[in-house]
Amino acid sequence: MKRTVTRTLAAVAALGVAASLAACSTDSGGDAEGPLTVWIMGDSGANFEQLVAPFTEETGIEVEVVAVPWDAIDERLTTAVASGSGPDLLQIGLSKLRTFADAGALLPLDDYLGDHPGLAADNFPDGVAEATQVGGETVSVPWVSDTRVLFYRSDILEENGIDAPPASWDELREDAATLAARGDGQYGYYIPQWDSPLPVIMTWDFGGDIIDADGNVDFDTPEFAEAVDLYTGLYADGSVPTNSDFDQTQGFISGITPMLVSGPYLARSIADAAPELDGKWGVTMVPGADEKTSLFAGSNLGVWHNTEQVEASLDLLEYLSSVEAQLSWFEINGELPAVSAALEDAGLQSDPLVEVYSQQLADSKVLPLVPNWDGATGSDLLAALNAIVLTGADRDATLAELFAKTEGVSIG
Amino acid sequence: MRRASLTPYLFVSPAILLLLAFGVLPIAVAAAVSLTDMNISGLANWGNVEFVGVDNYVALAADPDFWRALGNTGLFVIVGVPAIVIVSLGIALMLERSGGRFARALRSFYFVPAVTGIVAISLVWGYLYNTQFGLFNYLLSLIGVDQVQWLSDPWLAKFSVALVAIWRGTGLNIIIFLAALQGIPREYREAAALDGAGEWRTTRSVVLPLLGFAIFFVTVTTTISWLQFFDEPFVLTDGGPLGATTSVSIFLYKEGFRLNQFGYASAGSLVLFAIIAIITFVQLRLRRPDVDA
Repeated sequence: MKRTVTRTLAAVAALGVAASLAACSTDSGGDAEGPLTVWIMGDSGANFEQLVAPFTEETGIEVEVVAVPWDAIDERLTTAVASGSGPDLLQIGLSKLRTFADAGALLPLDDYLGDHPGLAADNFPDGVAEATQVGGETVSVPWVSDTRVLFYRSDILEENGIDAPPASWDELREDAATLAARGDGQYGYYIPQWDSPLPVIMTWDFGGDIIDADGNVDFDTPEFAEAVDLYTGLYADGSVPTNSDFDQTQGFISGITPMLVSGPYLARSIADAAPELDGKWGVTMVPGADEKTSLFAGSNLGVWHNTEQVEASLDLLEYLSSVEAQLSWFEINGELPAVSAALEDAGLQSDPLVEVYSQQLADSKVLPLVPNWDGATGSDLLAALNAIVLTGADRDATLAELFAKTEGVSIG
Repeated sequence: MRRASLTPYLFVSPAILLLLAFGVLPIAVAAAVSLTDMNISGLANWGNVEFVGVDNYVALAADPDFWRALGNTGLFVIVGVPAIVIVSLGIALMLERSGGRFARALRSFYFVPAVTGIVAISLVWGYLYNTQFGLFNYLLSLIGVDQVQWLSDPWLAKFSVALVAIWRGTGLNIIIFLAALQGIPREYREAAALDGAGEWRTTRSVVLPLLGFAIFFVTVTTTISWLQFFDEPFVLTDGGPLGATTSVSIFLYKEGFRLNQFGYASAGSLVLFAIIAIITFVQLRLRRPDVDA
């Protein structure tokens, strides 16, 4: 509670000093000859060390892994950009890609791709490499895939006379209302209040998009209006919990919320926390009458803009994009491959969950690469929708405000 | 003679240097940055930074989120400062009256929140407040009260967050009041007793006036810390739900470190600095000359 202003001021000042130092020196990421520094997001640092051990053995290039927590990446990026000394290679969540690229933190790779066939765009599922270009430049290559699918408790659905998981959002809304009628404190569906891609997925599945033909963000469309109807309707029906501290894993395991749209990581949490539920839940593609498009939410790997070890970094990048490395990462860390050949691997496909994931991945899109999805566009979207459903704010006025706020935001 | 006059400066110079380096310099840098459009690309390349004059301040004045954060902060100050002063003063008076071993144990008990890490505190309070699985709602359900959305209801969340800060903020102030209470000469109370003053009358007419300086000190420091209110909403609600617990500090943090608008955030931090300076100055001026203490 104390000294925050001083702290903020001191941090800004430190950045200023660091930036001016960086401006007059040739400091850069990593040493010329030394271990490669790699930033890996989340807590999978130890697993990553295991993954790159064969690479070090083969090439003699040491790899130093730094695990960066997801919620600390903004500060890390700022400090690294300001001081000019970053890692050599880094993992970037797709929602942060544009921010990183705009900050000039990533080395454009187009000139190097010719010598590294393993990194060419056609190794990855259709459109993913193109969709993750920024300003027409390849600044990163896909690394892991992630998508959103519908999780449902087959046992609870059956008990309530629902034979199959809902195939369209309208069906889902009906089923959710049925399930919520089970009693007090029971719901049918769960909407995480921090999940900004969800309304976008809904818009896609009504056949629309939030980007217009010119690449500008446009929420003022009939399809988005349908998505808003759905989002607010689920709340109006009493089908979703309204508290922001609801735990999605516990909610699913306890059966309070027997349906939700989430990613493969939830499957892992469920399997770990409640092995006894095995066989009583399943996943399927996201609902949608017209489209069943979901979110493509993986991570890419990029090379730091001023690394002195470009070639070594690219070698490591190519190793990480090999089918073997991609499959062994799935085995060690449970994250889906981004390379097509690895995704199609027979061993991988024998897992019924992975089968659904890869079907869904084949029909999934990345969020528009606006300058700051997490901090600005996405949070504006959530603030508007949640204001309507949680505080009863006027729908038209709130949406008009959202349109005004996001006007002129563009992926260009 | 000359040397003698320099000696005091020599002794205070380390403190002055530290103050300049970590107090004055950051403010000066922030003041300079606040006149630019500094953002992350500006950090990467000095050449991308442009002088924008007072644009950031104009934009701040027109930013509804900033006014909302100011309003929230104002509410926190109005609720939080009296709460902390009254609660800690009350507890200190009671602790001082009972000098037994149990009371001494209680003193450390009340101080525990002040020395416990905020993250641990927030985890525990987060569990207590949890709507589905929290202790509070469980206890309330025993007497038939419906689930209360402690941290999800935009109005209630303000008070839930403030309560944690009050709980955490009292410990240190209780110690300050206890120390001040022990500094009151015994003779005054004896004199009051001889004059026939009861417990209550002695407290009101002798003890409280003599605590004037301690109360003043606690009020000033508590006001400043509430104006900079940050930790509790940051860890418990991240400024939510829907910005209901976003204090000015949280707003600045988000603008600066999530949106990378360093120029804008610096402008905001200077406004906050000015507000704190003015309020503290007014408090200092309003303070009546001390009774003999």
